[in-house]
Amino acid sequence: MTETTTGGSTRIWDLPLRLFHWLLVALVAFSWWSGENHEMDWHRLSGYCVLALLVFRVWWGFVGSRTARFAQFVRAPGTVLAYARTLGTRPGHAADGHNPLGGWSVVAMLAALAVMVAAGLFAVDVDGLESGPLADYISFDQGRAAAEVHEAVFNLMLLLILLHVAAIVFYLGFKRLNLVRPMITGRRARSEGDSEHGAAADVRWSPMLALAGIVIAGAVAWAVSTGFR
Amino acid sequence: MIRTKPFTLAAIGAFGFAALVASGTLATAAPSASATISARQANFKKIGGAMKTLKDELGGSADKVKMLTAAKTIAAVGRAQVKLFPAGTGPSAGVKTDALAAIWTDRATFDGHMTKFIAEADKLVAAAGQGNAQAVGAQFKAMGATCGACHRQFRADD
Repeated sequence: MTETTTGGSTRIWDLPLRLFHWLLVALVAFSWWSGENHEMDWHRLSGYCVLALLVFRVWWGFVGSRTARFAQFVRAPGTVLAYARTLGTRPGHAADGHNPLGGWSVVAMLAALAVMVAAGLFAVDVDGLESGPLADYISFDQGRAAAEVHEAVFNLMLLLILLHVAAIVFYLGFKRLNLVRPMITGRRARSEGDSEHGAAADVRWSPMLALAGIVIAGAVAWAVSTGFR
Repeated sequence: MIRTKPFTLAAIGAFGFAALVASGTLATAAPSASATISARQANFKKIGGAMKTLKDELGGSADKVKMLTAAKTIAAVGRAQVKLFPAGTGPSAGVKTDALAAIWTDRATFDGHMTKFIAEADKLVAAAGQGNAQAVGAQFKAMGATCGACHRQFRADD
């Protein structure tokens, strides 16, 4: 690392957030595989798990640790533009969690996933054999349209993931910032700017609120999977 | 008023007869490849819709009339499908179709699937007619397996 460190490390990602991230990576990969191979029982199950993760993430965006909160990482356009202008400078300064541009990337990925899950719940396959748990509330043609949306948003999702990975490679290669390790360990080295950003402190989170979020997420996903019957 | 009526009726009759002749002529002429492809795609959508109805009913109120109607649709439309795969309506037709060329190079296998399809659809009608949801459910699966087996071999995967 070429950035100036002031010694020691600071925790910037809480454990539930990291679990969310890596479980989502695994589930999106598994959903892709099971969808392509027509393993629809597995595909549906995987989708319900993604739904649970999304519900948890929204909950965590309000009650999670500092860097998990939407209020912290969804920034005004002016801030995003100002940040974007510094992209060409190096070495980069470690952000306190999501940087202003990355925050919107997260919002875009979460929104795309939400639309994808919603469309999948109503989707019907071309043979009328396989369908999401809510498909019986709509017609065959509407279900087919939902399947089209499901597929279109999937392609958009792949594009967003590609952008996400490209950004990580850019930060590693050009800005000399390893963004992957903190997402695994939760910690990154302290850097000079930390104190002025007020970001020196370890993030803190409540296990009770995390547990409540898991219960809510599980309940919502279960209710949806039964088609509310 | 009364006097003009026979004339009007005759006019309608003559027009209707002309229309019948015209439509008769159209029906005997070989339909274009694109018309055939559209017709069989529309039929497959009907089958898909009927399968969805069955699935919805099996997962819900298992309404006997709805299930029987759907099963009959599948059996009837399935029989119509057999005639809708003439030579020249494959990928080379220049119209978008998921029908693979293998249908025409391995016609015997394809026809075997079609025969099986109709047999399974008839069994579905029988099960639906008895109104036994469990039997309909089991036959729905058998029906679906038949659809899938043919599609894996003869339909482009989208």
